[in-house]
Amino acid sequence: MKGFRTKLKKMLLMGVSMVLLLAGFLLTFIQKSFEGESTWLGLLREIDIVAAFTLFYFFLESLWKREQNPAKKLGFALVVALVVGVASALISFAPSSGFDIKNNGLIPLGFDSVFWANVYGIVMGMTNLLVLMLIRDIIFSKRRKGSRRNFLIFLGLALLNAMWTLTMRPLDSSIITSIVTVLTIAAMLLNSFRLSWIVYLSKREKLFTLVYGFLLFGIFIGFDVITSGTMPIAKAVLFYSPALKSFISSVALFATIYFGMTFISTLFHLPTAEAFDRKISEVSSLHNLSRLVTQVFDFNELVDSVTTMTLDVCEARSAWLEIIRVNAPSAAAKLHAGKHMSGEETIETVALKNISREDVEAIVTADGQSLRELVLDAKKSVVIDEVRKDRRTVHLHGLKNVFNSMVIVPLVSHERVIGILYATKDIEFGFDQDDVEVISAFADQATIAIENSRLIEKSLERERLMKEMLLAQDMQRKLLPQVLPSLKELEIEALSTPAFEVGGDYYDFTMLDEHHLGVLVGDVSGKGVSAAFYMAEMKGIFQSLARIYRSPKEFLSQAHATLAATIDKRSFISLIYAVVDLRTGQTDIARAGHCPLLYVSGTKGIYVKPQGLALGMGSKEFFRETIGEERLHLRTGDVLVLYTDGVTEAHPKDQEEFGFERLLKVVEANGTKSAVGIRDAIIEAIALHMNREAPEDDLTLVVLRWNK
Amino acid sequence: MTSFKIDVRESQNVNILDLQGYLDAHTTPELEKAFQTLIEKKQFNILVNCKDLTYISSAGVGVFMAYIEDVREHNGDIKFSNMTSKVYNIFDLLEFPRIYDIAKDESEAIAKFLSLKK
Repeated sequence: MKGFRTKLKKMLLMGVSMVLLLAGFLLTFIQKSFEGESTWLGLLREIDIVAAFTLFYFFLESLWKREQNPAKKLGFALVVALVVGVASALISFAPSSGFDIKNNGLIPLGFDSVFWANVYGIVMGMTNLLVLMLIRDIIFSKRRKGSRRNFLIFLGLALLNAMWTLTMRPLDSSIITSIVTVLTIAAMLLNSFRLSWIVYLSKREKLFTLVYGFLLFGIFIGFDVITSGTMPIAKAVLFYSPALKSFISSVALFATIYFGMTFISTLFHLPTAEAFDRKISEVSSLHNLSRLVTQVFDFNELVDSVTTMTLDVCEARSAWLEIIRVNAPSAAAKLHAGKHMSGEETIETVALKNISREDVEAIVTADGQSLRELVLDAKKSVVIDEVRKDRRTVHLHGLKNVFNSMVIVPLVSHERVIGILYATKDIEFGFDQDDVEVISAFADQATIAIENSRLIEKSLERERLMKEMLLAQDMQRKLLPQVLPSLKELEIEALSTPAFEVGGDYYDFTMLDEHHLGVLVGDVSGKGVSAAFYMAEMKGIFQSLARIYRSPKEFLSQAHATLAATIDKRSFISLIYAVVDLRTGQTDIARAGHCPLLYVSGTKGIYVKPQGLALGMGSKEFFRETIGEERLHLRTGDVLVLYTDGVTEAHPKDQEEFGFERLLKVVEANGTKSAVGIRDAIIEAIALHMNREAPEDDLTLVVLRWNK
Repeated sequence: MTSFKIDVRESQNVNILDLQGYLDAHTTPELEKAFQTLIEKKQFNILVNCKDLTYISSAGVGVFMAYIEDVREHNGDIKFSNMTSKVYNIFDLLEFPRIYDIAKDESEAIAKFLSLKK
């Protein structure tokens, strides 16, 4: 609907202005027929023509496309002006009756004069209007603070001059118009001085502008001439509409001055055009790189783009990028490392353009100080203007296919060199101070991009590990007993708190048969996901083998043998295992490298410590040889405490451990309480000892109280 | 962060690692590096002097377990000396003394190395 409405508007404007022009046409004819002058007819005609052209202006505006390129606009103006100019020239050869001058007015000598007057008036009027709008656009394309005001000043003055003519006879002159004309010319000059849009054209566009400017200047001088004084066309247009003629003259003169200035200015800007183009391209490369910094996170893609852009930014023949990594070894990279690399750093060529790895190898390393060292020493860029003559590149003098100049730029982040960028050119002195500065700025951006990409990789890695950790934690929680066995003969209470992330503590229960309970407490060495895995394995072994190997030491020996197949060299599992006969209270105990079991009977407590290696240590034969077993006969009220070293080793920062003594004491003191009470007393004692700080290690407690 | 440091020295063809401070999962990498260096240099007589070792975790213990086989295969050994009672207790619970020589002091340990040679 909107499209239709604007189309309608356009058609309306066009239509009405055409109608008005036609009316003007008729009026001029009527005027001629009158054979005299009639001021009101003349005035009516003037108003009609002014209105027509005003509407025509709006019509043009509605069609106007704001094309960006000033050079193209000039081209268009040139075409229009040429066509009109040539046409006018041709038409002027056609015979015309001309005009007579009487009392500073114009009398047409024939109807053909009237006709041509209309033609010239309309054509010149439209052309100049178009050219004025083009010039307006060019001025406004690189607008500054005064541009609009200046243009309006000119426009205002030109219109003022035009309107003033309505108060005079066509050929009258007055002081006012003279003054206004002078002011108008001043305004034209004012508008013709800020031609900064020329600077920003490419070299090619500047050349076009030069030619167009010159031609337009010439054509408009022609226009000035043919519309001045008593030239035939001048008289024709003057007859048609003095206001319009005044306006046309103003615009034509403005165009002349403006295009003339354009030509001169472009001429002066030509020598620097090429350098300017280069600067623009450098800036746009830097801009592209800035965008890269925020968009590309993949390391390989990034380094590839950096080397490609290096070629563009300084028009180099080849470029390559080395990255210095900490702790990221490949055998080749280790070989590369020179004297500046600490044991942990390796350097690797990660991207190359227009050069092979072998060539890079040959270029960068040398006996004595390699090129790389030059830059690492100084932490600044190094330029070699004449590779074939320079003493630093002696090793390259002999090579056939070598370039003639090169620049080496370090990528420095937080005072550390994280990489080196190399670029080469075939010509000598190929890199001037400017180039070095640009490529250094470029290298800085690249450094940021690379650091960014690394940080993101690390952060993603960390996130992944975190997720794994949470998963393992969850898994591990499920491995521990969800429910404690409820037996009338034996009270059982337990507590297990992992310190952070995934812990290594484990405890479990199983009924070997209806009269025997197995209680297992253990500690898997290490932390993290691997600890959780071994724990899972242990649970499996326990649940299946405990029933078969009923004696604790037998079970532990079997468990040791089973685990030996899967457990890695540096891991081990310590266990304490008690089997309670629920009929008699006889308890068999075996220990594999774990903390001793605490036995409190009445008010006396002792530690039960049968010998035994931890699982994962020693051969299975040696384990079997050295594993021991002890037997207790429980009496009513006796307490057994199985725990992990998280209990005895608990200590506040830089202070003493909780220790075996304190554990013994607290259980002796609370021996008459129920299992829950004893458990809580122990926890409380530990918390107190810790000054309410969180413990650093996993903590596991199993308290058994014989009630039979 | 608790600190850990290792000094390496040599005496009578035995390489002595002086452990100082707290050995847990965070600080074991240092110990690993020391072992790796010695093994690369084919030094298989290693004495771990624990005089200034304040604590060792299961991760620390794991490091010794990781290298002992390799070292013993090359007719060397990892022995310990000068343990504090606290540290000795940790090793003792694990029954380490059954598998490793834990000497009272350095000279005793070195003597053990020499006697092996004979």
